[in-house]
Amino acid sequence: MVADPILYVALPLLTAFLLPIIGKINKELIRIVPGLLFAFLVYNSIALFSKVSATHTPIIVEIAGWAPPIGINLVYSSFTGFIATIISVLALLVWAYSYKFKKLEFDNSLKYFVLLMLVTAGSIGVILTGDLFNQFVFLEIVALSSYPLVAFYRGRNGAEASFKYLLVGGFASLSILLGIVLIYSQLGTLNMADIAAHIDEMPRNIKIVSFTLLFLGFAIEAEMFPLNGWAPDTYSQAPGPIGAVFAGMTAKAGIYALIRMIYTIFDFSGAFEILLIMGVITLVVSEGIALRQENLKRMLAYSSLGQMGLLMIAFGINTKTAVIAGMLILFNHAVIKSLLFLSSSFLVYNSKDKLIKDAYGMGKKLPLTAILFGIGAFAIVGLPPFSGFWGKLYLLMASADANLLGLIALILAVSVIEIVYYFRVVNGVYFKKSKTEIEVHKPRWNASLAMIILAAAIIVVGIYPNIIYDYLVNAADTLLDKASYISHVLPNLASN
Amino acid sequence: MTEELMQQILKISFYGASLALILIGLYGVLTKKNLIKILLSMAIAESGLNLLFVAIGYIMNGTAPIFSTAVLDENNQLLETVTMVDPIPQALVLTAIVIGLGVTAVGLALVIRLYKHHNTINIDEIRNLKW
Repeated sequence: MVADPILYVALPLLTAFLLPIIGKINKELIRIVPGLLFAFLVYNSIALFSKVSATHTPIIVEIAGWAPPIGINLVYSSFTGFIATIISVLALLVWAYSYKFKKLEFDNSLKYFVLLMLVTAGSIGVILTGDLFNQFVFLEIVALSSYPLVAFYRGRNGAEASFKYLLVGGFASLSILLGIVLIYSQLGTLNMADIAAHIDEMPRNIKIVSFTLLFLGFAIEAEMFPLNGWAPDTYSQAPGPIGAVFAGMTAKAGIYALIRMIYTIFDFSGAFEILLIMGVITLVVSEGIALRQENLKRMLAYSSLGQMGLLMIAFGINTKTAVIAGMLILFNHAVIKSLLFLSSSFLVYNSKDKLIKDAYGMGKKLPLTAILFGIGAFAIVGLPPFSGFWGKLYLLMASADANLLGLIALILAVSVIEIVYYFRVVNGVYFKKSKTEIEVHKPRWNASLAMIILAAAIIVVGIYPNIIYDYLVNAADTLLDKASYISHVLPNLASN
Repeated sequence: MTEELMQQILKISFYGASLALILIGLYGVLTKKNLIKILLSMAIAESGLNLLFVAIGYIMNGTAPIFSTAVLDENNQLLETVTMVDPIPQALVLTAIVIGLGVTAVGLALVIRLYKHHNTINIDEIRNLKW
């Protein structure tokens, strides 16, 4: 079978637009075809990723035969491939979870699966592309398909959250595009490797302005404080599995764009410190607000923002250990947060306000879901033997190596806050009696299977971190080696 | 000398006009209360940005891209060429316009939904979520 990075983008887009026609043939096909597509993307990831890991050279695809810097290229390296693999596996699991979603309503499930495929294609496109304007287009695909997903339920305040997201997202795209225009006006190129090779030819003041504009735009997508006011509303108003999509895919696309910009495109050394400081602020503020939330989904959303803060801290330290820690946290955030969003949406399935106290007493009514939520909660605060432990451990080691002792104290203190609010929920689920009578909705086998796979991944990586450790080291090496990125994309540059 | 001055003035006026449009749009987004006016302000800022991009690719006295004629003598030797403007910004702006249209359309659909739900399009009266 063929495996090619271009299929990540081409196939989901094609299928998404064909799905309404496919639905005319047989109504059941609109559920089955997306699953086949996501299964193929997972196969594609495994085939490509094993090839890249074996050869240690990235796969560069030149679209339409135009070599970079003129044409658009896709770069599938150990770093981008790792994130693309996480996203495609997550897409398959979200599909499995929502297979029976809106069983009776054909139109709604059609919209849902079309948008799910567009979000997947956009997020993977942001990660694989080697062209700055192309990255902007993919970010817009992600944003444009996220707005309707947030407003999916008519009954909730989805339209309000979605409009808020649209305004902030519109500002982000304006800012990113202005930054791209400035770079193009100075260098006459849009290819990331080409920009990186010629960035020192840019006048310093214009470089600073375009850096600031791009940073602002990508930071909005990466949910950095104080630009993340939209995020908790979108997480809490969207359908349950879409929370997992936002945490695992769109936020990853945003943080990837930020990292690629800081590590590869620009040569400001101070940018890492900005990322570190903003990460610390994001972490502290988000976890502090999460402590006060009454609404379960809002609490998870703020906790997710806190994890994004940890991610920014890890990538802001800019050492090899720190980048490995960052990759681990990225993996953990995608897997654990998805498990939490998926399981929590059953804990408060029929409750109108999704309050934490509506989940009280669910430990007896939904034993499996409650255990899975508990595993997620224990993992995200960083208890061994779950995978969250290794992410935090490596982050602490990296900050110790970089002599940032205050940071260690801060991360540990914030972990205590996390423990407080997560254990409050777990305690309520198991040991408190529910005061209101809310009808329980039992997960079907497909949803349970998706959640069990996520939980199994958390435990397996927690006990044997070595199974992904080598890939993480490769990914960190690839990210930190800017010169080899440029020489792989533009082999002729050195000879000119 | 005068032609050079003219070119400078033209360039500054291109950039100034597009930047003014962007600022007008941002002002509108920040101050207007009407949801539709907010969306339109965003569209204005986007078109300002698109104009700026096209202006950056503009070369004095250039023709439309791709469609440029070369003047040849009887031996097919090149006598003179006609400059054309940079085609890449125009291609990119085309993409950006389509994206802007998509965002505006989705935004207007959301406004319809909000109006049906709240019976108003004043942003101050729609505050079920914490703003």
